[in-house]
Amino acid sequence: MTFKEFTKSLSGGEAEGELIKTIFISLAVSVILLGILYFFKLKYVADFRPKYGFFLFLAMLGYSMIIPSVRYVRAYREFTCMSGMMIGMTIGMIAGFLPGYFIGATNGMFWGSMFGMVIGISLGIWNGRCCGVMGVMEGTMAGFMGGLMGAMTAVMMYNDNLRAAGVVVLAISAFILFGLNYMVYQETREAERKHNDGELFVIFWSFVLTVVTIIFMIYGPRSILFT
Amino acid sequence: MKIKKTTLYFLGILVIIVIAGYFMVGSSNVSVVNDKVINDNIAGNGQIQKVLISEKNYNYYPSEIKVKANQPVEITLDDKVVGCLRAFTIRDLGVSKYARTPDEKIIFTPNKKGTFTFSCSMGMGYGKIIVE
Repeated sequence: MTFKEFTKSLSGGEAEGELIKTIFISLAVSVILLGILYFFKLKYVADFRPKYGFFLFLAMLGYSMIIPSVRYVRAYREFTCMSGMMIGMTIGMIAGFLPGYFIGATNGMFWGSMFGMVIGISLGIWNGRCCGVMGVMEGTMAGFMGGLMGAMTAVMMYNDNLRAAGVVVLAISAFILFGLNYMVYQETREAERKHNDGELFVIFWSFVLTVVTIIFMIYGPRSILFT
Repeated sequence: MKIKKTTLYFLGILVIIVIAGYFMVGSSNVSVVNDKVINDNIAGNGQIQKVLISEKNYNYYPSEIKVKANQPVEITLDDKVVGCLRAFTIRDLGVSKYARTPDEKIIFTPNKKGTFTFSCSMGMGYGKIIVE
């Protein structure tokens, strides 16, 4: 169960082999959706690209990293309490921090926190419940913390390399999620796959998260500093 | 030569990132840094030097002010300045005040010459004060 075996399994036919494919599908769905919305509606929004483009792009990249991990965890479903806590915490934290950061950068601290917490807690509970109440608790706490911290970081960095920090935050999140996938791989070598979410699962969640983020970022409420 | 499916997906991801990134990031040239406006409306000797600071691009405006040393300075944060930007600090001059309303002035006498940074208490908004 070395790291080399894991990287090799990324091109295999099992659940691990779907990770790269899922990233691709999620990213493609988000980009196509954004392209369509831009063509019909968003190009008429004043300063759309300079104001929101960069953060929407990072948000889409973030979702395309979170959704494969969610799908991968759901493929095996049963883990030990310890692994469940780690899964709930990682998914909750990253799914709270990234949307919180990107919405915080455009809509302010309060609405960024609210948005980040809702996404983080929802995904944290959803994934953490694979392993009982501890996973659920950890997912809730991590989503709560991640949402608040993401928005707060964005607002505090507003005049201090906000965009560069966004890229760094995304890169670190990618590394952490990669680590989570490796952990799940190690924990499930002896286990059989319990569930198979089709491509529709990826398409649906990429669509929902992207649409909700676009609507909230552009037409949603904002804090007084951002009005 | 047969290319693995995973390699194709990986290349697809790269292509999407490059194209979408070029489109979305390419024109992101809005700067959050304020124009540097020197407020050199300096009062005569012994008079209070009044400075009015507002907010623009989520930062103090003007972000550079010029005052005379050993002469009182009265800084007013107008009603556009909101949130933590109202907690005004100049660490090097020992100035720190939370001005809840524009009626609450920040009054101090700079006793040393130089260029100092002023900011809100959290460092989110900032600028320079030049003491001559």
